[in-house]
Amino acid sequence: MIQPQTHLNVADNSGARELMCIRIIGTSNRRYAHIGDVIVAVIKEVVPNMPLERSEVIKAVIVRTCKELKRDNGMIIRYDDNAAVIIDQEGNPKGTRIFGAIVRELRQFHFTKIVSLAPE
Amino acid sequence: MRLEKCWFCSSTVYPGHGIQFVRNDAKIFRFCRSKCHKNFKMKRNPRKVKWTKAYRRLHGKDMTQDSTFEFERKRNRPERYDRNLAENTLKAIKKIDKVRVDREARHHALRMKGKKAKEQREAAKELEQGIHMVKAPAVLEKEPSLTLPKIKVKVSRPQAEENHPMEE
Repeated sequence: MIQPQTHLNVADNSGARELMCIRIIGTSNRRYAHIGDVIVAVIKEVVPNMPLERSEVIKAVIVRTCKELKRDNGMIIRYDDNAAVIIDQEGNPKGTRIFGAIVRELRQFHFTKIVSLAPE
Repeated sequence: MRLEKCWFCSSTVYPGHGIQFVRNDAKIFRFCRSKCHKNFKMKRNPRKVKWTKAYRRLHGKDMTQDSTFEFERKRNRPERYDRNLAENTLKAIKKIDKVRVDREARHHALRMKGKKAKEQREAAKELEQGIHMVKAPAVLEKEPSLTLPKIKVKVSRPQAEENHPMEE
């Protein structure tokens, strides 16, 4: 349940550390974003000496939420934090490595590159 | 489909039940119900919580080592479906469960052995020490037996009239 003003960790090595959600892409008036949704975010904290800078507006896809993800077979998965991966217009991740566990549902949302880079 | 064990209480989690929590180091914790989940969030150690299997095994209340547990080991290699194998496995599961339950009952009986005799001894001692609460000491000296003798008392008339003020 990510909404504007939510701070998210960054799960890749693109250079940002923390993002703040500004807007959820999709329908207008959408209240909350879940795993697999694309959001517009502003970078709040960066790793020094990287191409990305603070207060840059970028797009990201949510990969982990503290709110449970429900599967059709009844499985419920909950993570420890809210995290996103920075992507470009097409949906390709900007970084080259992904950190942390990624859920397989992202494959259905056509983020196959992220799923293939994930450690597990 | 796989039947998992709850991380907290060690009961089986059937599909459609419970919550899986994935920690940031990618360790997965499975819980059978919100009771276990909430206890986990409170950072309780299951080895110290009395109703969990971990506590019971640790404190010797339940069997720890038995050959019937070997059958339930987690196997990561999927087996090709074979109808005969599946049939035999289902029959075996029933038999193994029965054996396991019998052994657990025996373990419990062994643990509780001597409890009845101990309780009776304690009750006798308590009676001996606390007999003054049951009978007055003066009477005990007169009649050392435990039962009171029956004494017939003649009831006089004025007692019937006394009841009226008490009823009001």
